[in-house]
Amino acid sequence: MIQIATGDPRPIFRQIVDGVRMQVATGELAPGSRLPSVRGLAMQLRINGNTVAKAYNELTAEGVIESRKGVGVFVCEPRQRLSVEERERRLEEAVQHFVSAVVALGFGPEAILERLAKEMEGLILPSAKEEASDG
Amino acid sequence: MVEVAVAVTGLRRRFGRKEALQELTFEIPAGGVHALVGRNGAGKSTLFRILLGFLAPSAGRSAVLGAPSGALPPQIRGRIGWVTEEHALPPWMAVGTLAALQRAHYPRWREATFREVLAPFAVDSRQAVGGLSRGERAGLSLALALAQGPELLLLDEPTLGLDVVAKHAFLDALLFAGEHQECTVVYASHQMDEVERLADHLWVLKEGRLVSASSPEALWERIGGWLVELPHPPDRARIPGLLQARALEGRWEVIVLDPPEAFPKLLDEVGGTAVEPLSLGFDRAINAFLSVGSTVGGAL
Repeated sequence: MIQIATGDPRPIFRQIVDGVRMQVATGELAPGSRLPSVRGLAMQLRINGNTVAKAYNELTAEGVIESRKGVGVFVCEPRQRLSVEERERRLEEAVQHFVSAVVALGFGPEAILERLAKEMEGLILPSAKEEASDG
Repeated sequence: MVEVAVAVTGLRRRFGRKEALQELTFEIPAGGVHALVGRNGAGKSTLFRILLGFLAPSAGRSAVLGAPSGALPPQIRGRIGWVTEEHALPPWMAVGTLAALQRAHYPRWREATFREVLAPFAVDSRQAVGGLSRGERAGLSLALALAQGPELLLLDEPTLGLDVVAKHAFLDALLFAGEHQECTVVYASHQMDEVERLADHLWVLKEGRLVSASSPEALWERIGGWLVELPHPPDRARIPGLLQARALEGRWEVIVLDPPEAFPKLLDEVGGTAVEPLSLGFDRAINAFLSVGSTVGGAL
């Protein structure tokens, strides 16, 4: 179930993108499972349908979901559609963002990395070998 | 269908010595939900009244669905839905009688939409309008507006004073009832959570002037916040773009428009210590933008 909150530091479309990505990564949304339609999710979340469409477009461009005309919106088999450069750029951006948020909190690097590793546990991410052969 | 829903050129309106609208010029393209925000007295209601031809401007002109506001022909007026905070409807009239009058008046009347919008409000058609609760009146007023099959829907703080249940029913109807997806919606509101849920475009009025026109995210992204210990209270001379400053247990919460990338360094230079970035939700960011009394440099 995708949830959003107003007042969140992230725009609603971003919360939807993050939410779906996370559910795919945790296996809560398995490949082939069906997502609500744009209108259905907009009604469920009580938001403008264009916001859902924007989130679904981004997820489609990333290869997370696909829309089959007249049938519905489905979770794709895991497959990487972003270029190596784009993935690198996004990783860099996310890391910089993370570092600037934690730098002043007074934790040492070990404590921070440990927490990060714990957070990654249970996510379905490619192994180092798969990563090398991917994209 | 027209391409421009609302066009306003050099619009001014004076009430005595007060300038309610000052040189307003903009065009609202057809389609989507346009949120119009501004503090009390920013000119939102005055603008609506001029657009509908209820009030003459002191200068300038405006057109709605391609027709001049001062002389809207009945067929154009019939394509404009209008819902206000007061939900002013004849109190003595029964709901059913009112609906029948409207049905006869509007050639594009959609009975199914009227019933669909009104259903969650559980209004009996024999009830007199005057006996309805505020929420029920809001539902009725939206049902009447949507059932006329409008091309343009103008809403002036329609959910003011509604409880959560009525507000949800109102938003559901506005977003999803009937087949009015082609309708352009202009929604004036103070409720930032609603604006965040509804708006494709954000128009900000400040003291009768348009100070920002963009997507909601674009304005939001221009606003940053920090917590900082400062030797002096923050002011605009030391901190350019300062929108709002609030003292919090020995530190200052500062919210800034268009902060440069090196903003923490700038805080450093004015003696700031213990600098910590703040994550601002849409409501806090936009309310900070609205809170500044005068037009800030960098704003449109």
